[in-house]
This record gives sequence, structure tokens and C-alpha cells, in this order.
Amino acid sequence: MAEAPRQPYGEVYDLGYAHYDGERLGRSHAVRALIIYSIKRGLGIRKRWTSKIIPALLYVAAYSPVLIVAGLLAFLPEGVDFGYADLAGFISTALLIFAAGLAPEMLSDDRRENVLSLYFSRAITRADYLMAKVAAMTLLMATIAFGPPLLLFVAKVLLANSPISYFADHIGDLGRIAAWSALVCIYYTALGLLIAALVDRKGIASAVFIGGLLLITAITNALFDAMSGSLRDFIILVSPLELIDALTSWILNGAPSEMAALRGPVYLIGVAGVVAIAALVMYRRYMTED
Amino acid sequence: MAEAWLDRAKADGVSAPTARQPLIETTALTKRYGPVVALDGLDISIPPAAVGLLGANGAGKSTLIKLLLGLIRPTSGSAIMLGLDVTSAATTVRERVGYMPESDCLPGDVTASDFVAHMAEMSGLPHRAARQRANDVLYQVGVDEERYRLIRGFSTGMKQRIKLAQAIVHDPQIVFLDEPTNGMDPQGRDEMLRLINRIHNDLGITVVVSSHLLEDIERVCDHVVMVDRGRLVASGRIDELMRGGGDIVVRVDGDLSAFSAALSARGLAPRIRERDITIPMNGDADQLFDAIRDTVVEMGLPLRELRAGERSLEDVYIQTVGSAPARDGNDANG
Repeated sequence: MAEAPRQPYGEVYDLGYAHYDGERLGRSHAVRALIIYSIKRGLGIRKRWTSKIIPALLYVAAYSPVLIVAGLLAFLPEGVDFGYADLAGFISTALLIFAAGLAPEMLSDDRRENVLSLYFSRAITRADYLMAKVAAMTLLMATIAFGPPLLLFVAKVLLANSPISYFADHIGDLGRIAAWSALVCIYYTALGLLIAALVDRKGIASAVFIGGLLLITAITNALFDAMSGSLRDFIILVSPLELIDALTSWILNGAPSEMAALRGPVYLIGVAGVVAIAALVMYRRYMTED
Repeated sequence: MAEAWLDRAKADGVSAPTARQPLIETTALTKRYGPVVALDGLDISIPPAAVGLLGANGAGKSTLIKLLLGLIRPTSGSAIMLGLDVTSAATTVRERVGYMPESDCLPGDVTASDFVAHMAEMSGLPHRAARQRANDVLYQVGVDEERYRLIRGFSTGMKQRIKLAQAIVHDPQIVFLDEPTNGMDPQGRDEMLRLINRIHNDLGITVVVSSHLLEDIERVCDHVVMVDRGRLVASGRIDELMRGGGDIVVRVDGDLSAFSAALSARGLAPRIRERDITIPMNGDADQLFDAIRDTVVEMGLPLRELRAGERSLEDVYIQTVGSAPARDGNDANG
């Protein structure tokens, strides 16, 4: 009897490359994808665990004061308050370090490793690329700048004898928190990206950012002490850390420092100046062709 | 879907491409960098094919690719790709175009899979589809299990494959490969050329390969565009360019030196090559053949062979450009 043909128990198919006929979502999707990707990279997601340490520590540093304060307020007698300017003092260092790490993550590697040639040959423009990076960094900074004071506000509302009337009476605080957060986020994003647009190596860019800010602050402080007359009041406009400190005191009703002798809106001009310089540098670095 | 892309194409104010149109067409395309003319009034028309962009280093190949991708703006002239103006509809065009640059362009601390998927999303593919296609395409180019490793640890050959994968992950209609075999060992180069062949022949993607190496172009392309110092010197199907224009080959029995001398006396320029005599095809072919026939008859020699030899791509290049191109893959490329 003839042997029955054996049934193959498995076959290997070369499925090959299939053409894609699904959705193509175009430029707006690409920009959104770049923002999400950049946020993930900034937080160390899908990177080695060492990349996650600094962001995690910064979140702990930024959020733990507000949790402690909220807890304390629950037990302290009414009338004891903790101002938003005090909280801003706690989180400003976290913001500075976060910006130092984030900004080079946003720009430096793509330029040094020449990944830009791949980005610019896809469905986005150079301006889209920059806007996505600015958006990603500003959003990340906002998680540290806006989150803690917002939590403090919520805690104060919930701990008040009459939460609804407290909320109605202090709605202005919310506006001030939002304005302050937005301004510091934009300010640090601009300063950070300004350095990152010029320095290709991430570590060096971070060091230049922190070192540069401390150095300029030291120099302007010395100048302020050495000078007299009304001109010295304007030194604060070129002193990056004192400027943001003065802005914080102005918006969040804190105690101004010795250097902060100008009227509040003048500090806005200082912030606008930094943003303009950063925009100009980024334009020169990215928008002009190879 | 394709319709959505066409809608965006229409929104850019240009009619959708049709099959009859060339995929790429440039008109007097010029690019100057100060006093340096990188491209000088280039008029080319590229059909759906595997197209070799051939020229010495600095001839303007990379400049042409960058102009077509909208990465740089032309000083004057225009370029239409897939029926769209590459300057005014740059992002729409680039959704359907892939690009593999010559230089290193991969990030170190990302996995191959994550990066290629990200690049697919940057061309407009949804997240899930992008991840799926990234894995499929990496497998196709021979990066399989390694795709979950950081790119930093890959060899040059593997990096070239990842560069190729990111160029085709979004299923483009045209893919530009700028010196794709650059820096690869002979085996890697061989595999890369085979992959490029597949992209065109199996997938039907129009491939534009820029190279200063004739062998690469000969192996993968059926169409060639030759540029020299920013000017177009020849363009067309490779088999048509190679047809005609080669030497006339004559084989006779008897004294080759005497035969050669007799041909010289008739004003021809014969060269003895082993058992054959070759005569360059200068002037009217009919007159040349008549002169050879007459010489053979006068000397009473038995004629064994008389034919027009084919030109090699190298001959075409030398005859049009005036100097020899690079022949092997080991020369310096900068």
C-alpha cells in the first residue's frame, strides 16, 4: 500500500514587506508625536534606569514640601498660613535643575548626532520641530511649577471652614499661581533652550546653564553692591536668578529682595527680553538652511 | 488613507500626480552658495524606476537630493515631485518620500525599534501602525532580535540597515539613498545593494541612489542621471545610453600589425587588443564600416568578426564627463 503523503506540520512563509494603506495623519500628528516623544525622553521613559533618577528626585523635591505643608495646615490652628511665595522658594531650585537637565535633552543630542536631517526630511517643518521642543519642555516644567502651588491651593480650599466661600474669595490666588507658573516655565525654557541651541554636548550644556547663571548672578550682585544711584536698580534685569525672584515676589506677594526695587511690570520686560534672545538664537541655529 | 493625502495635496494648490507624469521633474534648478555654484540650471526628469544619481564627490548629488526634499531652497528654478512643488508643498511631499542620508544620523541611546517607530510617526503614521511597521521593516532589512538594543552598540553595517529601515518604514513612493554603501565592507555592501534591489523590484518603490561608485549604480539601477560640477551631463535608461557609441571590434586571420597599419593609412585609429582590433566610433558609422570592409578586401584577409561593441557605463561617463569615475568601493569618499 502506498504511503499516504505526509501532512506538513508547519510552513515558513516569507510574508515580505506589505504596502501600508492605513491612515496617514499628516503634519499635525507628527508634531504631536514629537511633543509626546520629547516628554518621554525628558522623563527618562524607555531609557536606562539611570536616566529616570534625576527627574524622579526632582519631582519628590518639588512635591514633598507642599504635601508636608498641607499636612501641617490640617493640624495647625486657623489663621496660620503658608504663602505661595514661600512654596515658590522651595520649588525654584528644582525648576532650575530640571531646566538644566531637560533643555539639552530636547535639543543637543539631535543636533550632535545629526538626527535633525531625518526630522527635517519628514512631514514637519523646522519651525514645527522647534515649537514641538518648546512645547514639550514648557509642559514638563509646568508639572513642577504649576502642580505644587495648585495642590496647596486645593488643600487650602478643602481645609477652610467654608470651602466654597474660601474658593470664591481666593479665586485671584489661582490666577496668580497660573500666571507665575506660566512665566517661570517660559523663562526657564527660554534660558535652557538658548544654551542647548549653542552647546552640542548634554553634560556641558547643563554645566554651562547652571554655572553661567550662578556666575552672572555673582557678578551682578557684586556690581549692585559696588554701585550707587538709580542705575543700579536696573542691574536686576540682567541678573537671571534675581529677576525671577523679583517676579515671584511681585506676582505671589512675597517679600522682595534688596535688589528688587523696580515696579513689577518692568520684570516682565526682562523676561520678554530673555525670551526674545532665545528665540533669535534658535532662529539663527535652526531656521537658516545648511 | 491615500485620499486624505490627496486632499492635503489639493489643499497645497496642486493637482494630484498621475501615472503618466514623471515622479520628479526639475526646471532650471539652480543652487548657489555665495560664489560657489552647487547646481547649475538642472533640467531632469525621473520616471518611476531605480535611478542612479552618478557623479564625482562634490558634483552636486547631495545638493540635488536636499533641494528635492525641501531641506534647502533653490536659488532659482523649480522642482516638482509626485506632482507637487517641493518648496511650497514640502511637508505634504515628504509624507510620501523617504531619505537615507550619507552621514551618521542615528541617536545612540534609543532602541532601533523605538527610533524607527518614532520616525514612522513623524511621517504621519498613527502610533500603533508605526510600531507594527517598524518591527516589520526592521525584520525585512535584517535587524531582527537586535531591534530592542540601543543603537549605540550597533556596527556600521547594522546602522546602515537601520537608516534604510527608517527611510522606508512609512511606505514612501520615492526613497532617496545618499551613498548607501558608504563605509561598508564588501559583504555588507553586497547585502545593501541586494536590499535596494528588492525595494524597487519587489515593492515597486522608486529608488534614487546617489553614488560615486559605478558598480553600485550598474547593479541596482535601470536609469541614470549623471551630474558633473552641478550640471547635467547625461540622463536616460542605462541600456539605451550604453547602446552604440562603443568601439568597432574587428577580428581577422593573418597579420594584425599590417592590417592595423592599413587601417591607419585610411585615417582610422585602430588599437590591437589581443586577437581583435578595436576602432573608436568617431564620425559616420557607415563610412567607418565601409572603410574596414574595403581594407579587408584589399588585403585579402579572412574576416571573422565585425561588430559595434557596447559601451560600458564607465565609457559613457568618461565620454560625457571627460574623466574616469571611481571604480571600487575602497577609495576615499568625502
